[in-house]
Amino acid sequence: MEAGLKPLGREKFWLWAMLTPTLFGLFFSAFGSLLATLALSFTRWDLLTPPQWAGFANYVALFKDPKYLTALINTVRFTAMYVPGVVIVSLLVAVLMNRGLKGISFFRTAYYLPAVTSAVATALVWQMIYGKDTGILNYLLESMGLQPVCWLCTDMALYSVTIVNIWGAIGEGMIIFLAGLTAIPKEYYEAAEMDGAKGIQKFFRITLPLITPSIFFQTLISTINAFQAYDYIYMLTRRGQGDSSVPVVVFSIYRNAWHFSNYGGASAQAIELTLIVAVLMGLYLWLEKRFVVYE
Amino acid sequence: MKRTLFSLILVLILALTACAQAGGKPAASGGPVEIRFMAWGDPAELEVWKQIVADFEKENANVKVSVEVSDWDSYWTKLKTLLAANTPPDIFAIDAPLYKDYQARGVLLNLKPYLDANPGLLDGLYPVTLKAYETPEGYFGLPRDFQTIVVFYNKDMFDAAGVPYPQQGWTYDDLREIARKLTRDTNGDGKVDQYGFYADLWDMELIWSEGIWAYGGDVINADATRTLIGTPEARKAWKLFHDMIFVDGSWPDANTAAQYGGDPFLAGVAAMTTIGHWAIPGYAEASFKWDVAPMPAGPAGQATSVNSAGFVVAKATKYPQESFNFIKFVLSEKGQTRLAELGFACPVLKSVAESPAFLEQEVKVNHQVFLDSLAFARMKPSFKGYEEWSSVIGDGMSVVWTGEADLDATLDEVVKQADEVLAKNK
Amino acid sequence: MGKRAQTRMIDALTYLILLIGAVGMVTPFLWMVSTSFKLPADQFTKTFIPPTFTLKNFQALFAYRDISFPLLFLNSTVIALLTTIGQLLTCSMAAFCFAVVRFKGREVLFTLLLLTLLIPFHVTLIPNFIIFSWLGLVGTSVPLWLPAFWGGAFGTFLLRQYFLTIPRDLVDAARVDGATLPQIYWQVYLPLAKPALAALAIFSFQGAWNDLLRPLVYMPAAPNTTLTVGLALFQTQMTRGGNFTVLMAGALISILPLLIVFFFAQRFFIEGIALTGVKR
Repeated sequence: MEAGLKPLGREKFWLWAMLTPTLFGLFFSAFGSLLATLALSFTRWDLLTPPQWAGFANYVALFKDPKYLTALINTVRFTAMYVPGVVIVSLLVAVLMNRGLKGISFFRTAYYLPAVTSAVATALVWQMIYGKDTGILNYLLESMGLQPVCWLCTDMALYSVTIVNIWGAIGEGMIIFLAGLTAIPKEYYEAAEMDGAKGIQKFFRITLPLITPSIFFQTLISTINAFQAYDYIYMLTRRGQGDSSVPVVVFSIYRNAWHFSNYGGASAQAIELTLIVAVLMGLYLWLEKRFVVYE
Repeated sequence: MKRTLFSLILVLILALTACAQAGGKPAASGGPVEIRFMAWGDPAELEVWKQIVADFEKENANVKVSVEVSDWDSYWTKLKTLLAANTPPDIFAIDAPLYKDYQARGVLLNLKPYLDANPGLLDGLYPVTLKAYETPEGYFGLPRDFQTIVVFYNKDMFDAAGVPYPQQGWTYDDLREIARKLTRDTNGDGKVDQYGFYADLWDMELIWSEGIWAYGGDVINADATRTLIGTPEARKAWKLFHDMIFVDGSWPDANTAAQYGGDPFLAGVAAMTTIGHWAIPGYAEASFKWDVAPMPAGPAGQATSVNSAGFVVAKATKYPQESFNFIKFVLSEKGQTRLAELGFACPVLKSVAESPAFLEQEVKVNHQVFLDSLAFARMKPSFKGYEEWSSVIGDGMSVVWTGEADLDATLDEVVKQADEVLAKNK
Repeated sequence: MGKRAQTRMIDALTYLILLIGAVGMVTPFLWMVSTSFKLPADQFTKTFIPPTFTLKNFQALFAYRDISFPLLFLNSTVIALLTTIGQLLTCSMAAFCFAVVRFKGREVLFTLLLLTLLIPFHVTLIPNFIIFSWLGLVGTSVPLWLPAFWGGAFGTFLLRQYFLTIPRDLVDAARVDGATLPQIYWQVYLPLAKPALAALAIFSFQGAWNDLLRPLVYMPAAPNTTLTVGLALFQTQMTRGGNFTVLMAGALISILPLLIVFFFAQRFFIEGIALTGVKR
């Protein structure tokens, strides 16, 4: 992407002036986050006594830990369902809302509600919806003469929590796409209509290609969010004070860091998670160059 | 126009900053000594701590205590962050099972010199509550209140079924029998909607340590090197729980309990449960009548678990004497009476526990049961690595309680993993 | 079928789909509202209308003199507003540079910036806390909003994507008129990017408002803290006695400001880019 405005003479100063806050932040978080985490991943640290050098021990331990592997597999499975779910549903919602119908601001607020509501409170409500004997969902199934399902039992839980997570993320995706849709000039649609394009054709010919920058953004952000998701998952499936029945990597990081005196191990898990997402990000960036349409 | 907008933003920022900082922490230099005290709790506890601090400050004019209360989960994160940055609060609350972990890592102050200077200070406390804080070098912390586990029962359900209430001297066989009687389908839709008993099986405190002790087993050996939950005696207790859930169906499994917010007793679908005094203020809101009874006895006698919340002083404190004085004050009759008013816990000071402040508190149930249970109470274990060890057991066994795994095979595996954690923490 | 009738049918279908979806989106929220007016003893009843309507849960929130809601609201609002201002300002400047200006190291810097998004928050809390502790800023709200003034990967990325869709011709036209970089940023890009800025404003405000862990560790506890941290205190009651009703009431109160922000910001999503006057 070599396109761009070339700064002229004194404008170089303005360029770097405008970038300064970000460069400072980058410097800060490069040290405060990336490098610190990387360094700590090579130590044994319980937070209370000084860290001790551990070499690659934390990384070796990761590969030997069956629980971590389970968490990793769950996280990947979750991501594989969550990302397409969020992107497709919220794009669809945004496109429908963008048709300029009356009363849409009501719908916009309605669809955004889950995104603002505290996860603790809504997880409790979902608990009631999913309940196997008392739940609303099973009540509906049974009244239709169907067999009740144990939504939060181990074999179903991953799917059930994915639905809740998608439900909670549609609002944010919708906003991204609504904003993105405003950037598509109306003239394009008018021109297409003159060529005789119908609704669906217009969507595939104009909307979809021109919304690709937002799709790219939303896909990447959803992937990052998916790898770091845990609040709904753990509130819906946590056992006692313990692990979730759908263990995911971030929860493992949380418990190792704060509860098992293993900040070094938690950092190693975080670095590994970062590497995985970074590989995915590299793939997305490559796809971006091939498929994303910018002006 | 541009410039005005920028300066407007600037002014706004400055104004907001001033706002945000107002009410921040006061300047530390000069004036009275300021000590910082952190605890977990809810708004009611914050209020009581503030009263205790006010009383304390009246008697100690040169000391100011700032109280910070957070919810349970947040508390530990905040505490560890502050310790990691070497800026711990002077005094902080601790849960007895975790105490040894902090003590072993050297962040706590040995209170021995201060206790030696105050002979007789601990005489009025229940001895079993002190045991958790003992180390060969002395006390690095002191209990502030304790929790014994007792049976809570729904009187309405017992009355409706014509079953007599649990009495001192009852056994685990009686518990099973009563639970079976009280399990029923009240609306006739072919599904059980009232269970006889429920207790959470993740943490040992609520039922399984008590059961294992009553059947003659133990949880862990004295020097915390071997996990004992897989011995033949212990397995008898595990089998009882397992049978009640999966044979009798009188105890809802973990998935069923989850839909009642994890507390089927409060939700009015379980006739009995085992829990500590902390549940009382919440249960006071229940729509049914309830009371408490002591734990049942097993072949090896009666047993319950005692646990305590306590205080420790950070080794890094600048004001050890003032911090100790505050602890001393909370252990005094005045401080303990205030704490008892909260209704969450049992006072560690005998004279207050046996006074109307505790026995005749707002929620009228048989509070004496909690004190009498001390006679057969065993301490919830405390050692370095406790939290990971208990998680290995709680998480490992949880698949049994959802009916996904075999009890005996899982126990074998869990004991092995738990012993690995113990070895790692030696 | 005439074109009018066809459009009308599609409109009706759109409403129908949106309505069915809206029911799914809103029901859990309405259930939360209903629970917040129920007695604790009724919290598991399946009736939508509370069997006994009560304000007790809201009263319970306000019953403690050590928890001053006006102060909690003020703290949260100040932090969230500062965060929003900081993010809008610095992210848009950086996004403009990344999207519009050609300079050496642009790709590398941008990729590096994105990488900072990937590290899970739980492991970066302590290193960051220690840095702020060295700077002597712990115990104030500064560490909560100051970072918003040094940009952020999320906001920069979001705005960059939007800036990239703004037609180049606009820049060229401005260039011909002799506009400098800051002028193009301020006069061309910012006004056109209102929808994206509105989105970022919503996200920044909400993120700061709902943040629990950072205010928890950086600010002094209970009385002088944020609303989210203050309300979390009531969770202890829930875990101890199993009462959810107060928690629901608290959750309800804390989202009202967010809904207000959303309500005001959402009108920017209707405005499209006007190409009128721009030759293509």
